[in-house]
Amino acid sequence: MTEMHDIEVTVNGRRRQGRVESRRLLIDFLRHDLGLTGAHIGCEQGVCGACTVLLDGRTARSCLHFAVAVDGAEIRTVEDLATPDQLHPIQEMFHQKHALQCGFCTPGFLLTTVEFLEREPDPDEEDIREALMNNVCRCTGYANIVEAVAASAVELRRRGEA
Amino acid sequence: MSNDQPTPDRFNLASQNHVGQSVPRREDDQLLRGQGRYLDDVPIPPQTAHMALVLSPHAHARITSIDVSEALALEGVLEVFTGEDLAGMVKPITAQIELPDYSSNSRDVVAVDEVRFVGEAVAVVVAESQYLAEDGAELVDVDYEVLAAVISLDDATDVDAPQVNPTVPGNVYYDGRFATDAVAEAFAAAAHIVSEEFRSNRVTAVPIEPRGCLAVPEHGDTLVFHSSTQIHHVLRTALAEFLDVAESNLRVVVPDVGGGFGIKAALYPEEFVCAALALRLRRPVKWVQDRYEALLTDVHARDNLYRVEAAVDDDGIVLALRAEIRTNGGAYAALPFGCTLETTGGARMIVGPYRISQYEYTATAVATHTTPTCAYRGVAQPVCFMAIEGIMDRIARRLDLDPADVRLRNMVPTAELPWTNVVGVRYDTGSFVESLEQAMEMADYREFRAEQAKGRLVDGKYRGIGICSFTEVSGTGAPGWRARGLTRLPGFDSGLVKVEPTGKVTAFVSHAHSGQGHFTTFAQVVADELGAPLEDVTIVEGDTGSGPYGTNTFASRSAVTGGGALIRASAKAREKLARIAAAMLEANVEDIEVENGRLHVAGVPSRSLSFADVAETAYAMNTTDLPEGETFGIEATDFYDPPLVTMANATHIAQVAVDAGDGRVEIEGYTVVHDCGRVINPMIVDGQVMGGVAQGIGEALMEELVYDDDGQLKTSTLADYLLPASVDLPNFNIAHIESPSIDTVGGFKGVGEGGVIGAVPAVVNAIGDALADLGVNVNTKPLRPALLSGLIREAGG
Repeated sequence: MTEMHDIEVTVNGRRRQGRVESRRLLIDFLRHDLGLTGAHIGCEQGVCGACTVLLDGRTARSCLHFAVAVDGAEIRTVEDLATPDQLHPIQEMFHQKHALQCGFCTPGFLLTTVEFLEREPDPDEEDIREALMNNVCRCTGYANIVEAVAASAVELRRRGEA
Repeated sequence: MSNDQPTPDRFNLASQNHVGQSVPRREDDQLLRGQGRYLDDVPIPPQTAHMALVLSPHAHARITSIDVSEALALEGVLEVFTGEDLAGMVKPITAQIELPDYSSNSRDVVAVDEVRFVGEAVAVVVAESQYLAEDGAELVDVDYEVLAAVISLDDATDVDAPQVNPTVPGNVYYDGRFATDAVAEAFAAAAHIVSEEFRSNRVTAVPIEPRGCLAVPEHGDTLVFHSSTQIHHVLRTALAEFLDVAESNLRVVVPDVGGGFGIKAALYPEEFVCAALALRLRRPVKWVQDRYEALLTDVHARDNLYRVEAAVDDDGIVLALRAEIRTNGGAYAALPFGCTLETTGGARMIVGPYRISQYEYTATAVATHTTPTCAYRGVAQPVCFMAIEGIMDRIARRLDLDPADVRLRNMVPTAELPWTNVVGVRYDTGSFVESLEQAMEMADYREFRAEQAKGRLVDGKYRGIGICSFTEVSGTGAPGWRARGLTRLPGFDSGLVKVEPTGKVTAFVSHAHSGQGHFTTFAQVVADELGAPLEDVTIVEGDTGSGPYGTNTFASRSAVTGGGALIRASAKAREKLARIAAAMLEANVEDIEVENGRLHVAGVPSRSLSFADVAETAYAMNTTDLPEGETFGIEATDFYDPPLVTMANATHIAQVAVDAGDGRVEIEGYTVVHDCGRVINPMIVDGQVMGGVAQGIGEALMEELVYDDDGQLKTSTLADYLLPASVDLPNFNIAHIESPSIDTVGGFKGVGEGGVIGAVPAVVNAIGDALADLGVNVNTKPLRPALLSGLIREAGG
């Protein structure tokens, strides 16, 4: 029998425990063990970015990490962005700018944007396109995503100043 | 159109409140919260088994033995099935194509004796978890006798080429021919003959969600089959036929689908295997492919060669056209469209918006030891327009004319519509000339040409501009499919509109979404036709267990066929509401007007009833009797089969800069003027256009599936198969012309594919234009930096 490991992580502010095989991918742990299916598996090769989560505050490909290797980490997934009553401002801008179609890649773009706008609150279009270049969207052609990120930056700055 | 079909004038849409508005999408909230439910998110019942496939590593080989003992010995592996085992459960799957000169073939869902492409399944392992199923698959030991393979389109019909399929002699699936009466005379008399060979390399759609399915036995004999598919009714019928089970015991449910783009409009062996094993094992079975399997086994497309020649007069008018089209069908005819979709499509669509009256084609689909090819967004049209639009540019260069002017001289002017083209396809309305002229204005085309005349090489970059004016086949009806041999594909779709006891509206439609925003757009259509408030209308789709049969969602159908069916069903429901309301208000039914959820007597707004008031009577939930002769409830079903095809049109103009040193291409401007008839939701239409353009730019510049000579796919990861990223794409300048169809209910035309159809030729032509002074002939795609820098160097640039 494969060796099992007990792990404990903080996911979306809650302490979660799990018992995993050494080889269990973080994405499978999140999706199938914790039931957080917002992060998606697009390639399992670290290319598409659909599985993006925030790992200790930085974007990470959850298909490229083993769950056992993130023992003790703090993880944030797309499920943490909205409240039942209100979308996060970035989500709201994605809605307003029609920045999603099938929605499969969207959680990855949202978390990439969260990290990016924390680092760079006042980006220009070139900054935004560079920040998004490691997430693949096959539906939108990116233009509306770029607009949504720009509008999110404005909105987040406005709230920060308020 | 049949006689009982109401004419569009009978419909309410003229007083539209919602159609034509950029209504925000209802789909978004759930998807943004990470609560979309895609196939892999569907909760699995206890006892679900997981399956993994053992894939052939050879393009062509005889299976000499399969040893499953080690796999079976692994703890957690439940069973291993070979092709022979599956052959007892699933009949060989066959696409029904009825064309003269077509050789049919069948496919075992898991290979028996012989494999015909790398990635074909040879065994199936079922285990307690996905990890264990994949472990088991690694342990299946298959011995092969490797056989000679034929991979390329060019070699398929060589006399010594190995035979791919026993029922496809000479590796020719299909060899179609057509000619009008005076092609040879036109060529003999022509002042100029302009010819070119265009090669399109192989690509695939790559939806970010991989394919998958979950088969759940329920209530004894019923199987609930969840699949990431675009064609749930077609799938259900095929499962019934090839598994030999009662169709009434099958329910196909489509969850959220993470992109389809046509490749999920094919039926795949894994779906039949998963369903068969669930029935065999009497427990749920789940399968989700990984990206490697996706690139190997999702249908491929665009592996085409076009040899085209045009007979042209001194003014650049095309007097006659000859096209020799070869398409690579791969190892098997994929279901349900077979391997001739690109072949017949290219042959029938290449004449586009042009007044070409003499035309001859040969169109051949060949078999090779490669992944089957079938539908990918745009089917045939990106390539046939790369060919005809490439010819237009070559005519311009030969005669020293502007490429835009050559097109304008050859186009069918709007005043001459409706117009039937040389292969019998009717263009009812459109804006060929207007879309080109408007796009030229938006792109500052004449100014660009004036600047370019001073020299194409500026700051180390060659600058060019490329046009694609095209027709876009959408909303195909039964006659259209029959004309292409697809006699088992119905053409119609259906709508079922229910006004519920509380007056709220549920509308079922025979489509399945994969990002198009159906819940929003179809609600707009129903609200306007029924006269209901938009927020009172809920759309249900993607489930064969609710709502009537249809042909489902591919080939830019949903607005035309789903919209049409829902309009007809809504009109019927509205008429019943009006009849009951008339009785309740003691008025004539002709005097009843319906607006925003209320029915009132014309001219007397105070004499009115809400939908709920009328529904209470219809459902016997008050003390008012139903009028004589009326049945209970308010439910109306109707069907809509559009004409042969519904023709949209557009012009795309791309401006590019090609780096003289490294050959990299930058898209510096991109303009689209699109005409899809009456627009339901401009925001969503723009989204469809932009997404399609992105795929087209990817196809023109980087995307390519590459086989080596032995049939190994060298691009089997997304690190090798390049997709366009945010930094590769421009912003888009989009405008619409609305020429409502006069042949379809609602006036809608399809929009799903236009983006990619226009982008491939526009970008290829722009690069050809940029390098024209060097004498570089750009007649292939993708146009990667290495290829272009080599061509530039060879040309002395």
